[in-house]
Amino acid sequence: MTPKRIGWGAVALGFLAFFVAVPPLTVRSPIVVIVLAVAAMAAGSYAITAGEKRLGWGGIIAGLIGLAGGYAATQSGVENLERVVVWGALGAATLRYATPLIFGSLGGLFSERSGVINIGLEGMMLMGAFFGAWGADVTSSWLLGLVIAIAAGAAFGLIHALFAVTFRADQIVSGTALNLLAVGITGYLFVEIYGDLGTPDDLPSVPNVSLPIDWLPLLGDIFGELNLLVWLALAAVLMTWVFMFRTPMGLRLRSAGENPLAAETAGLNVVRTRYLAVMTSGGLAAMGGAFLSIGFLHTFTQNMTAGRGFIALAALIFGRWRPGLALAATLLFGFGSALAQRLPVFSPSGAVLFQALPYVLTLIAVTGLIGRSIPPLSLGRPLPRS
Amino acid sequence: MADAPALELRGITKRFGTLVANHAVDFELRRGEIHALLGENGAGKSTLMNVLYGLHQPDEGQILLNGEPVTIDSPRRAIGLGIGMVHQHFMLVPVMTVAENLVLGAEPRSGPLLDYKAAAARVRELSSKFGLAVDPDAKVQDIGVGTQQRVEILRALFRGAQVLVLDEPTAVLTPQEAQDLFVVLRRLTEEGTSIVFISHKLNEVLDIADRVTVLRRGEKIDTVPTEGATERSLAGLMVGREVLLRVEKPEQKVGEPLLELEHVSATDDRGLPAVNDVSLQVRAGEIVGLAGIDANGQSELIEAIMGLRTPTEGKITVAGHDVTHAGPRETLDAGVSHIAEDRHRRGLVLEFDLAENLCLREYKTPAFSSHGFLSPKKMVARARTLLKEFDVRGGEPETRAGSLSGGNQQKVVIARELSAAPKVIIAAQPTRGLDVGAIEFVHRRLVEERDAGKAVLLVSLELEEIRSLSDRVLVIYEGRIVAELPPESSEEDFGVYMTGGGRG
Amino acid sequence: MSAPPEEELPPNITVATRMATFFRGGGIIAPLITVLVAFLAGGLVVLATGHNPIETYSAIFKGTGFNWIFPWLSEDDRIIAALNLQQTLILTTPLILTGLAVAFAFRCGLFNIGGQGQYIIGSIFAVWVGSSFEGMPALLHVLVAMLAGIAMGAVWAGIAGLLKALAGTNEVISTIMLNWIAIWTGVWVFNLGSPLQNDNSDQVDVPVSNDVVEGAKLPVFWGDPQLQGLHLGIFVALAALVVFWVLLNRTTLGYEVRAVGFNPDAAEASGINVRRNYILVMAICGAFAGLGGALDLLGWQFRIATNDIQTHTLAFFGIAVALLGRNTAIGTLLGALLFAGLITGTSVRNLDPTVFEPQLATNLTYMIQGLVVLLISTDVLVVWLLGRRRKRRTAAVAA
Repeated sequence: MTPKRIGWGAVALGFLAFFVAVPPLTVRSPIVVIVLAVAAMAAGSYAITAGEKRLGWGGIIAGLIGLAGGYAATQSGVENLERVVVWGALGAATLRYATPLIFGSLGGLFSERSGVINIGLEGMMLMGAFFGAWGADVTSSWLLGLVIAIAAGAAFGLIHALFAVTFRADQIVSGTALNLLAVGITGYLFVEIYGDLGTPDDLPSVPNVSLPIDWLPLLGDIFGELNLLVWLALAAVLMTWVFMFRTPMGLRLRSAGENPLAAETAGLNVVRTRYLAVMTSGGLAAMGGAFLSIGFLHTFTQNMTAGRGFIALAALIFGRWRPGLALAATLLFGFGSALAQRLPVFSPSGAVLFQALPYVLTLIAVTGLIGRSIPPLSLGRPLPRS
Repeated sequence: MADAPALELRGITKRFGTLVANHAVDFELRRGEIHALLGENGAGKSTLMNVLYGLHQPDEGQILLNGEPVTIDSPRRAIGLGIGMVHQHFMLVPVMTVAENLVLGAEPRSGPLLDYKAAAARVRELSSKFGLAVDPDAKVQDIGVGTQQRVEILRALFRGAQVLVLDEPTAVLTPQEAQDLFVVLRRLTEEGTSIVFISHKLNEVLDIADRVTVLRRGEKIDTVPTEGATERSLAGLMVGREVLLRVEKPEQKVGEPLLELEHVSATDDRGLPAVNDVSLQVRAGEIVGLAGIDANGQSELIEAIMGLRTPTEGKITVAGHDVTHAGPRETLDAGVSHIAEDRHRRGLVLEFDLAENLCLREYKTPAFSSHGFLSPKKMVARARTLLKEFDVRGGEPETRAGSLSGGNQQKVVIARELSAAPKVIIAAQPTRGLDVGAIEFVHRRLVEERDAGKAVLLVSLELEEIRSLSDRVLVIYEGRIVAELPPESSEEDFGVYMTGGGRG
Repeated sequence: MSAPPEEELPPNITVATRMATFFRGGGIIAPLITVLVAFLAGGLVVLATGHNPIETYSAIFKGTGFNWIFPWLSEDDRIIAALNLQQTLILTTPLILTGLAVAFAFRCGLFNIGGQGQYIIGSIFAVWVGSSFEGMPALLHVLVAMLAGIAMGAVWAGIAGLLKALAGTNEVISTIMLNWIAIWTGVWVFNLGSPLQNDNSDQVDVPVSNDVVEGAKLPVFWGDPQLQGLHLGIFVALAALVVFWVLLNRTTLGYEVRAVGFNPDAAEASGINVRRNYILVMAICGAFAGLGGALDLLGWQFRIATNDIQTHTLAFFGIAVALLGRNTAIGTLLGALLFAGLITGTSVRNLDPTVFEPQLATNLTYMIQGLVVLLISTDVLVVWLLGRRRKRRTAAVAA
């Protein structure tokens, strides 16, 4: 029983404290919740003393959250619980809420693995959301709308690359600038083109993929009727992993982010690599935004990304710049959003407060278990002049 | 043209701002020869080769390969032309394996995917062909420095280098590894490769090279065959004057130990052991030199003493005061001064003016502040006094530190650290990058402090400096103190211990 | 081993060093040119979408009220200009404070993007104190309400500082998350049935707070209180500028902040407690931003509706203000004036819709703001100027 295992066990116990109180287990006795939560905290404390500080604290926090959530669940009516915690619907909703985050964090992965910090994911996502909607409207085709969205995101990526790589700008400031610009550009164009009426009701939208798996108990509900872009997102995770870790191009991209000088001396054009990576990141983030406007909410409103670009970035950091772990993080955050959306069912005013849940989760995640997360070595460092 | 030299550099000039790194340098490499490029630190050797490799563009001059003029605007181009370079600081990606590093840029494929097995096989193939043993699957960050260098060499050969440039290759090798390297190099020349061997070590140059070109302060001084040359003749060309080896030191008066380390161990930033069970003492009135090759734990040891790194084991005492777990503030207050090895990183705040820099340790004392408010007037007055005392040129108290020359910047650091009336002085690379006048000043001051009864720990990569200043010399290797030698010991004796030999 | 000497912008520089370099290299000219270029680009966008940029900008300018200082103005125009100028100056107050909240952080090498959340928290506590304790003497009431805003803004930002100090949490992400948490907390707390919803019987269905009592309102000294005249808050903001300068340049804390901002390694090696500074700096920034929220509330808002919270974007301008002003006190003042003018000039009240639609103009302002920040991120102009200077020196040496 290494301290590391105990630490992870603490986190698991914390989650368990919450899960026993909700359907299908729906344990009603607070004692069980308390016992599990205390066990989580105890294990976490032990892990801390054994040297696994971050993980240990993560366990303690998981225990606290599990205690709060589980206790609240035991105090709520079973009926309410059964209405809110419908795992099938929750699972599908999780995937839906996670999709923009998945695209966003994959975008961030490309950029940061090549050595360029991309704080501008939010802006690129917003551009994708608007141009996806506008593009679909103007061409009456969701596919072309998607293409236009990707182009818009890539264009923004190009600007970021220009400033970050060629002009050696402070990458966080230039990324922030892009976010501000995106709000202005999309807002301006939205008011100019759509004025008071907003986007049309019959906006072409990306179709859902119906799978004939209704008969499967849980999985049928979750996977049976998901949007095409959700499936694309999941496929993108796999493709990104293969690209990054199994192809020569991925090897070169990663070397540009770890030791650009080494990459240069190996004959690579680091500047070109970074430009392409950042443009790809813009395109991917834009896909996430397009999903929001033409795949999920079927409309565009100003500033509709609401911080999702940053949550995606947090997922990336949480996931140690690896596609698989980042996916896990996005699912966690997506779950928070999905839960927050269903809670209004039994507490209208509390529902508003729960809107903050994904942001709280992100905050905890970024703080809690990051510790040893080591970014690509040359992340954020401009290239020296010759 | 069959008898054209493999490589020729004509009239290469390279400037960085106001600094002229190379001035009208000519260099000629014959096919199949090993040609050494010799010079002191800062003579322009690396810059010249970086120009050849396309990392810098020359301001004037021409490069000819096999008699044909070429333009080399990037390392890509250089590689394409058959020029390979093994840098002093390895151009490897630490988190990737040897095989991945080797094939980067010319990867074997199977379809769209990277064919890792083929890459590993290539590594083994080359490895045995040239007698350079490496493990393809090991991560670069996990293998030793000597092995890393072998990977670097293999990388250049993998790309078909006809001209191979090695920049200070033996700096990180044990004597045995250096000899193995020389065997490899000779083998390569038999296969037609031409080699440029950059070094500042005279004995090696005489051992391995056929001819040697000497650079001094960016200028080419002469090219001579090694046959018939001696260390003395080469040294004369390199330095151009009688080198004063000894600093005048009065008789030593030694007192109590002011700095004591007992079985101190510490880890580096990655959690690997860097300092292993070090015990040492520096007494009042003595200079103890710590000699060693770069990256053998010196930096971590200093950080442990200064409170910038917590030791995992052991005890550190300053004048009877236990500072093992103290932070920098407490350690400084206990009477330790630190002349940092990287003055731009740890020594100075370049954006601050000189007065602010000089108060970096004492800004909170009543002398410069009261109730949380600073007194700029007092800071400036104090600065004026110190700048005069330490003969700092190029600035007033209001001058920005970044605009001073390296030597004067170092003087500011020394002024601050020595004026704090310390009991113990840790001097790390105190004369790095300084000109002769500044070096002599620093050496003189350190001896003066020692005579005033301070305990001085001198950590340096320059063996000459250690030998001329120290009363006792300790040798550090892989984080351990492996020997204590009198300063008059020969370079060979030091060399043996510094490279891990002579134990048992 | 010959290495090139320190370049003007070495690779691993902090944001504080970069800004100081820009200031040295470009002085006041560079920010002016940056603004000009941003306006030009904005003008191009206006042109491209079929409007007249000159008319647009002059309409916006009239709306700012800066024309009030022109002596040749007619009596009627002067009255309108006075009203406009009052509005601009009212907005200058929070912009100064949110600008300081960003600038102070940048001086320490930190990115405080959380001005919005800190502002909101400040205003929430100010409205709570301001609408309670009826009967408290006016001066005391105002002070206590302001203090509440300052203190809670400091706490909110301090969370991010604490996380950075203890866990190394990236403050960009943590402050942005705290922004959203503050927004939703604010929306919740004034919502129907929530603790701070108003007690008025005729506003039971309205998610708005109680009004600030008369005694706690900041007095108006120019203009008509009924028409939202200029309140005393502007003087508090100006005082804050002075506090900022004194704190940074004349105190030991400011010395530490600047040292950490320029070179955390050297600061640490000299015994400065870097982590403690992170916490203190973030708290001070939160105090500035929270004060901004309190002043706005006590000066002209007097109540908070959930809608107000969700549509509030003013605090983000603090970033552009601080960067444009090179994180200095004077610069922040000028930058605040500029953006306050832009926002006022493009507001629905002041901009003639026949010339240019105000909603468009608002987004135009966002774009200009974004462009300003983008251009400043590298300050191409300054780098170019420095390069020219370097080449001149080299030529002199070679000659």
